[in-house]
Amino acid sequence: MKKFAHSMESPAAPSVQRNWWVYVVLILVCLVNFVPYLWVVMTGFMDGASASSATPAWFFTPSLEAFHYLIVEKDIMKNFFNSVIVSLASTFFSVTIGMFCAYALARYDFTGRDDVSFWVLTNRMMPPVAVLIPIFVTFQTAGLLDTLAGLILLYTAMQLPFVVWMLTGYFRDIPRRYEESAMVDGDTWFSAFRKVTLPLMMPSITATSIFVMILSWNEFAFATFLTSTQAKTMPPAIMAYSIGADIRWNVLGAAVVLITAPLILFVLLLQRQLISGLSQGVVRK
Amino acid sequence: MADIEINSLMKQFGTFKAVDDVNITVNDGEFVFLLGPSGCGKTTTLRMIAGLEMPSSGRIAIDGRNVTFLRPRYRNVGMVFQDYGLYRHLTVFGNIAYPLEVRRLGRAEIASKVEAVARTMQITEVLQRKPDQLSAGQLQRVAIARMLVRDADVFLMDEPMSHLDAQLRGQMRAELRHIQKTVGVTTIFVTHDQLEAMTMADRIIVMKDGEMLQFATPREIFERPATEFVATFVGEPQMNILDARLIRLEGRIVAMTEHFAVPLDTDWAESNGLVARLETPVRVGIRPEHIAIREKPDADHRIVAELYSFEPTGAENLYVLQCGSVMVTTRSSTTETAHLSKQEGSSLAVRFDPNWIYLFDPATGRTIAQAAGSDVSKEDI
Repeated sequence: MKKFAHSMESPAAPSVQRNWWVYVVLILVCLVNFVPYLWVVMTGFMDGASASSATPAWFFTPSLEAFHYLIVEKDIMKNFFNSVIVSLASTFFSVTIGMFCAYALARYDFTGRDDVSFWVLTNRMMPPVAVLIPIFVTFQTAGLLDTLAGLILLYTAMQLPFVVWMLTGYFRDIPRRYEESAMVDGDTWFSAFRKVTLPLMMPSITATSIFVMILSWNEFAFATFLTSTQAKTMPPAIMAYSIGADIRWNVLGAAVVLITAPLILFVLLLQRQLISGLSQGVVRK
Repeated sequence: MADIEINSLMKQFGTFKAVDDVNITVNDGEFVFLLGPSGCGKTTTLRMIAGLEMPSSGRIAIDGRNVTFLRPRYRNVGMVFQDYGLYRHLTVFGNIAYPLEVRRLGRAEIASKVEAVARTMQITEVLQRKPDQLSAGQLQRVAIARMLVRDADVFLMDEPMSHLDAQLRGQMRAELRHIQKTVGVTTIFVTHDQLEAMTMADRIIVMKDGEMLQFATPREIFERPATEFVATFVGEPQMNILDARLIRLEGRIVAMTEHFAVPLDTDWAESNGLVARLETPVRVGIRPEHIAIREKPDADHRIVAELYSFEPTGAENLYVLQCGSVMVTTRSSTTETAHLSKQEGSSLAVRFDPNWIYLFDPATGRTIAQAAGSDVSKEDI
């Protein structure tokens, strides 16, 4: 037995190389990404003088001056909650409506289906700012200016194409057999959809929701033009409070901390869902 | 348990007729097979019975109740899909329990029913696993268990064995047939595998291009095929088909091929009205087991052929012979042909058993004359 032992082995595999330069590249990428952010966060904790001094300082006495200004004087938390409401609501509506559109596109063969799919896609091709003026006028007429409902409506409409486009592909990956089998087993179409298709779609839906939510959270152009006092969201608020005659760097830094913190927490908590959702349909037999 | 009655069922996709004028009456407890090549409309027919596809016209009745346009849930049919249709987010238990949960049965009742059916299908030990942890054979068992667990009136199976390897398929055939007979539920089984249909069916429906060619017992399908297509589709190796003309030679009617004459039984030829078809082209069919071979030609074995290839299968030997420009396959037991040459290129003498010759119409494909040797029609089917 021993005699054959060496011949039973497969030919020596090349030894795993420790590619140190991969780590160098990774560290460089991390630096390029994180140092500016770190700098912004640091600026947020500086006082006005050190933030705008000509020689940047790595070491300084932390100050909550900028946060105090934003939260107490300017009441930025109101804008913060406006943002929360608008992005949650628009995500909920766009994903719910988009899910059914995507389902129809994926499952039913109707005349003009490909045209509809293509039209949905082309909606993303146009820069949104191109329709800013018509939308402004429409909002004015409809009395939607400076209302949360207006923003929710607009963001839902803006995100729908993306949601439909993402989810259609994921729905196509789920064999129709699952629903058919549930229907033969005695279910209605809707409960088959709810109990069989939706659980299978959950990771994809979560991933899509996260994307949509981030896009709504960060939306700047429309929020700037369509809101003033009541419904102003974070991005235009930051602009308004930190940039006047001159740029107040520490206020800008503090505002950036406030606007990015929820996103970072959110992604840290859901990163596993996010990754598995994105790779849905790839790793499957 | 119920009978199924299907009248002039038709399904059209655009201009394409997937199923055309299908009429079937399946008796209570019968095991019926829909057999045909892919794209012949057998799966569409099954899906219409399940309610997953709505017919363009026609009528489907289960147990005397018209269900033609009812949704699947109002039909009480159980179904096994080709790729099983198991939910991969549920355990095996959850999968089997699903139809019971839909019917809002109590927990204890569900558990006891699932366990009972799991015992029957021998999958008790995998009840807590997810489908992606199971082998193809186990998946198949789970899918059948899910169909068995509820009291369906009719079972429908859409090529459930196509993903199994040959050995497992052989086992499953016997098992499925046994289960179907024990449970006694009317079952329609779709397959393109003639062996599956021949071995398991009470009756077989052969379909081609959306049309029903024949609906009969396996034996009748095999011995008295309605068309040339049916004749060649069942049986392995398939029936030999030769192009010939009917002529009168030395006082008797023979089928004259390009290179040799196939003598026919005189009484049989007369009773089948072949005299009227003299000088017209026919297609001669004969199964491999009805061709006898000898080393040297004699009075009976007149046709001389060259051995093209020799295929031993164990108990039987297949000889593929070249007679002029046509290939003919014969099958005989290994002991019978032990003394014959197995060398490719050697010459052998051949006899076509006149009792087992079929004649087909080359234009319509219909059978002109069934083999004289078949006594299946005298049997009580």
